[in-house]
Amino acid sequence: MGRYVVRRLLSLIPVLFGVSLIVFFLVRLIPGTALEMYLGTQVEATPEQMEELKRIFGEDKPVPILYLEWLGDILRGDFGYSLRTGRMVLPDILSRLPLSLELTLFSLILALLIGIPLGIASSLRQNSFGDFVSRIGGLLGLSLPQFWLAALMVMVFSRFRGWIPMGNYVSFFDSPLQNIKMLFFPSLAIGIGFAAVVMRYTRNSMLEVLQMDYIRTAKAKGLKKPSVIYFHALKNAILPVITVTGFNAGYLLGGAIVIEEVFALPGMGRLALYAIYQRDYPIIQAVVMVIATLFVVVNLITDLVYALADPRIRLDDVVR
Amino acid sequence: MNNETILQVQGLMTEFRTERGIVNAVNDVSFSLERGKTLGIVGESGSGKSVTNLSILKLIQYPPGRITAGQVIFKGENMFEWSEEEIRTVRGKHISMIFQDPLTSLNPVIKVWYQIAEALRLHHGMSKKEAKAKSIELLKLIGIPDAEQRADNYPHQFSGGMRQRVMIAMALSCDPEILIADEPTTALDVTIQAQILELIKNLSREKSTSVIMITHDLGVVADMCDSVCVMYAGRIVERAAIDDLFYAPQHPYTRGLLDSIPRIDRAGGSRLHTISGAPPNLIDIPPGCPFQPRCEKAMNICSKQSPPEFIINGDASRTAACWLHAKEYNNG
Amino acid sequence: MTVPRLFKNGIAVTGLVIIVLYVLIIIVSFFWLPFDPSEMNSQRLLEAPSFTSGHLFGTDEFGRDILSRIMKGTTVSLVISIAATALGASFGILMGIWAGYLGGRWDNGIMRIADVLFSFPSLLLAIFVMAILGENTYNVIIAIGIVYIPQFARISRGSIIALKSNEFVRAARSNGAGRTYILFRHLLPNSMAPIIVQISLSLSVAILLESALSFLGLGVQPPEPSWGNMLSSARKVMMLAPWTAIYPGLAIVTLVLGFNLLGDGLRDILDPRLRNVR
Repeated sequence: MGRYVVRRLLSLIPVLFGVSLIVFFLVRLIPGTALEMYLGTQVEATPEQMEELKRIFGEDKPVPILYLEWLGDILRGDFGYSLRTGRMVLPDILSRLPLSLELTLFSLILALLIGIPLGIASSLRQNSFGDFVSRIGGLLGLSLPQFWLAALMVMVFSRFRGWIPMGNYVSFFDSPLQNIKMLFFPSLAIGIGFAAVVMRYTRNSMLEVLQMDYIRTAKAKGLKKPSVIYFHALKNAILPVITVTGFNAGYLLGGAIVIEEVFALPGMGRLALYAIYQRDYPIIQAVVMVIATLFVVVNLITDLVYALADPRIRLDDVVR
Repeated sequence: MNNETILQVQGLMTEFRTERGIVNAVNDVSFSLERGKTLGIVGESGSGKSVTNLSILKLIQYPPGRITAGQVIFKGENMFEWSEEEIRTVRGKHISMIFQDPLTSLNPVIKVWYQIAEALRLHHGMSKKEAKAKSIELLKLIGIPDAEQRADNYPHQFSGGMRQRVMIAMALSCDPEILIADEPTTALDVTIQAQILELIKNLSREKSTSVIMITHDLGVVADMCDSVCVMYAGRIVERAAIDDLFYAPQHPYTRGLLDSIPRIDRAGGSRLHTISGAPPNLIDIPPGCPFQPRCEKAMNICSKQSPPEFIINGDASRTAACWLHAKEYNNG
Repeated sequence: MTVPRLFKNGIAVTGLVIIVLYVLIIIVSFFWLPFDPSEMNSQRLLEAPSFTSGHLFGTDEFGRDILSRIMKGTTVSLVISIAATALGASFGILMGIWAGYLGGRWDNGIMRIADVLFSFPSLLLAIFVMAILGENTYNVIIAIGIVYIPQFARISRGSIIALKSNEFVRAARSNGAGRTYILFRHLLPNSMAPIIVQISLSLSVAILLESALSFLGLGVQPPEPSWGNMLSSARKVMMLAPWTAIYPGLAIVTLVLGFNLLGDGLRDILDPRLRNVR
């Protein structure tokens, strides 16, 4: 297992390297330099000041060198300075990261809590009316735009005082109840579409597993129905659901960006949007880099969870 | 104790509803099993032999499968009148099963000892610890080396033969009165087959377990069984004690089966016999004997009316479902 | 037994009917709209839906007819969805079959690029590309197309590799068929099933992505109506006039559902083993 983790961790390096290339060079494609943009908001600079600014903005060197310097900086946690406020980017990111992470995690938990039981129930009553309804419901869930759902929630529930608390973000560790109250609807808006994906996968996977010989063996042993379904079948049926969860984690991370905007939550997504509206490229680069890294790490975690859940993976590791 | 009937199947009918129609997989099958004896059920694939035995424990999936008639009398009681819950307590405890493919029949993500221990904990109320100890003991008994370490392995870490041994340990863990072995050696290498059969034979003899051995291999039957039922197209066409079947087969189908076994004592001479044609489609079985289209001795009546089981030589346990044995036709 | 049968056949048909309905709306909208979708009317701001006024879906904060704007927006949504899918599919499939068929260094290089693109959540990548390219309708197509490239590359590579070792390819090669010939005559037609399913999926996701981008102000720019930017401007007034938010949203849900129903049905029809694609 240890070796597996190390190998997977090492495999992240080239991917993240590629991500950094894209993030750096795509921004370079934008017509006009960062310096010109910065100057657009400032008063005229003297030639001496220009030289100094060029050095600060790194426009005195060839692009590959600049990339390497930038890469070195972000590896040290230095994401540069905002073009608009002149403040360091990293503290802003760090202060907004917890909210976005929490939002993503809550929506994942909600999606699994809704999707898995519905999927199981649906598979056990295959082709019944309830199954029919949940299949249609699943497709409908896939078709709902998260931000529209969020807007409807705001519209409906803000009529009831306290259902969607307004005001500043409260950390879970300061006031768990207030925190959950604040994030419940946003998480639901992000998670419902994903719950539909999870439900469909769970259903199909359960239907497949329930046909397996080992389920017959379990029944022939005289096991009670719950232990056949929730132990013997689910332990196998959950495996593809784990994979799809990792694969679709981007849906949740991306969803957080839009939903933060709708619910006016001060997370990474709002920071990114603000930066885009303001053309504040260092912040955009930082946010994209951080979210992509998170996504890659989440995928790694899902792979590890999968390896823990499926003993056949570990053997492959030993053999190779 | 001798000749005590432990299980009796009567008039069993099982059907499957498919898109193309109703498949009558088991059609009025009756047989009985005596304590401590081994009964063979022989037939080609699709003859209904597995479905018959899955029906005994009501392990047929509905839909599409359904038991439409019959009774299964276990120790004097008709199990088909019991609730699902009552039947469940028989499974694995009094009647247990071994299946054809041990790789797919063991749960891939559950440790081997746990799969064996489950039935022990359920039926004998053992604690987890006791059940694990007993599982390791069973693994030793069936000849798994390093049982203590291997108990913590998963099925894919075992070889095919070892997996089937695990299945056997699992099936015998609660000392069942009846063991149903559904083609237990078909998926295994020839060299392993003999070992597995030997294991089943020894263990069942030791505990005087009754065995139903389902197979398409007459060699297995000769090796293991006290008596045999031959199935064709969902029916029993012949039943006999083991020696009678091999030395005096009464049904043309049985004869065909026996002739199609290569035999050393006939090596130089006659060509190997084959039964021409294929088993019938079970969706719309034509009237008459299902074997009639392939039968070398078919008569007029055979295509008109299905033959009942005729008793041979006045022995109720010796029958053949063939018009050749009806009084009015048996002069030729 | 009859309910699921009907359902199974009905599902693709229902999806198709919805899509055809929207196509009809587009055709009608070229010739006739209830009102001029860009005509403002300060007398009728945020009017509730009613038969008598003729504004069946009400009016927005500039007094424009919402139904007319939704109808006009249908063209925008469908064109973006189809163009983006076509863009992503053509580049992705080319990359995928190239990688899958040539294997070795090509395969490695192309798939590493796909891996890197995969490390960005779809919406984030689209937002990032829009931020670089600037906000207009064509760039929305490019942004969504880029998101799709790695997805199509991975799927088509997978099916090509699975097919490459098949008997009929070896047979064709031993008969002296050339590489390109084998690729286009044998491999591509046989790997279409998963690609077709992916296309119907992509069409639906593109509508959602476009509307999300436009909602954030990064997509189709006003005054050109798109369902997403209608919802964006509805945010400021939806507490007073819920219809401004409800109807454009319903338009999105219905069309996306149409594609999803079609995709689900196609999956059942083309290959039952693909049921797990999503």
